[in-house]
Amino acid sequence: MRIAELERDDVLLRRAAKGDEEAFLLIYRRHQAAMYRFALRMTGNTWAAEEIVQDVFMTLMRDPKKYDPSRGALGAFLYGVARNRVMKHLERLPREVALEEKNEDGTGSGVVLQDASTPASWLEKRERVRQVRDAVQELPVEFREAVVLCELEELSYEEAAQMAGCPIGTIRSRLHRGKALLMAKLEMLRGVPRRASAAR
Amino acid sequence: MKDFFMQRKQEMKCEEFEAIGLDAGRDSSLSEAERTAAREHAATCSHCAALQDSWDAAGVELRAFAEDTAMAQAPARVEMRLRQEFRTRHVSMKVRRTAVIAGWALATAAVLVGAVSWVNWRGINSGAAAKQSKTSQVGANPAANNADVANNNAAAQPDSAESETLLADNELSDFTLLPGSSPADTLDAAILRVRMQRSSLGALGLPVNEERASEWIQVDLLVGNDGLPQAVRLPQE
Repeated sequence: MRIAELERDDVLLRRAAKGDEEAFLLIYRRHQAAMYRFALRMTGNTWAAEEIVQDVFMTLMRDPKKYDPSRGALGAFLYGVARNRVMKHLERLPREVALEEKNEDGTGSGVVLQDASTPASWLEKRERVRQVRDAVQELPVEFREAVVLCELEELSYEEAAQMAGCPIGTIRSRLHRGKALLMAKLEMLRGVPRRASAAR
Repeated sequence: MKDFFMQRKQEMKCEEFEAIGLDAGRDSSLSEAERTAAREHAATCSHCAALQDSWDAAGVELRAFAEDTAMAQAPARVEMRLRQEFRTRHVSMKVRRTAVIAGWALATAAVLVGAVSWVNWRGINSGAAAKQSKTSQVGANPAANNADVANNNAAAQPDSAESETLLADNELSDFTLLPGSSPADTLDAAILRVRMQRSSLGALGLPVNEERASEWIQVDLLVGNDGLPQAVRLPQE
């Protein structure tokens, strides 16, 4: 068996099901970041994202047979599980969501900007990012999902539709409406008069 | 005229542009003609051009947000918790599997022991039956029987052999009817082999040599249904 075959997700999962811890950890390390990002962008909450990632991999550990390789990649399966957990989490949440996340040490949102040319520009960029994050969090869940999948996760419309379990047209429409709401929100936050009527 | 209609068909209205034209560049479900129409519409309609700018600006903002969270990953404690859970789960599974295997092994061993014991028991029983039938065969040969009887006599203790019962052969011709018995009484009689002192023969009405009266001899008695001896067969000396 070749190395590429040995490291295939389904092969690793079979090994993990037989008690191979390293195989399980390899799967986890391969997919955890994408799951965490998705959960974080959807919930805007690091604790929730952490719980969701843990839940997703617990599910995989408890019942690896739930994943059927003939029906698609493991990543897509995990996305599906993560999406369910996110939706459950959002259903449980009260309407008022604390958008400003703090780390365990009480500092910031755990996001580190790569570009820190000057403190002023860093602050300006940080503020812009915070506004976008807030605006994304305020979107209705289905619009938010479309924006996260298509704009943040950079999935194609087909992939996003498959992930969300709806037709491409629905994804396109949700994305357009979500993005229009987002634009309106951002322009409002910055005190810019609305140039577009897309938020209808 | 045809060109005019083709051109009309390819033209895009503002509503259409807002619905499908804003992201025409990356929407692979659109045809090339639709993409071209969207581009052309944005170039000629200032309202939709502004909308496109706003859309693109939002895209830039979202990309900045995406980059901001691009390096985000689950904290190490999640991996630690999962690792711990994995070990707990699989160790307990291993223990359970071992217990099941041990249970099956014990059950198999018990079945084997049972089978071996049964085979041994059967062997012993069949050996005893063979011995018994051999004894019967021996009993059928008077000469050999007598020789064996003599050997037994030498080895056996008198008091313990008093009531020894053995089945002898069914040949009745060697029997001597006791006084007062008729041949008809012996039809359903059973043969009883006993050891007794020669003097006891006197009680059965047989003559006894006084010099050897104290000797122990083996005698076959033909006992009737009433429990009384009907005939006697003496060993050949």
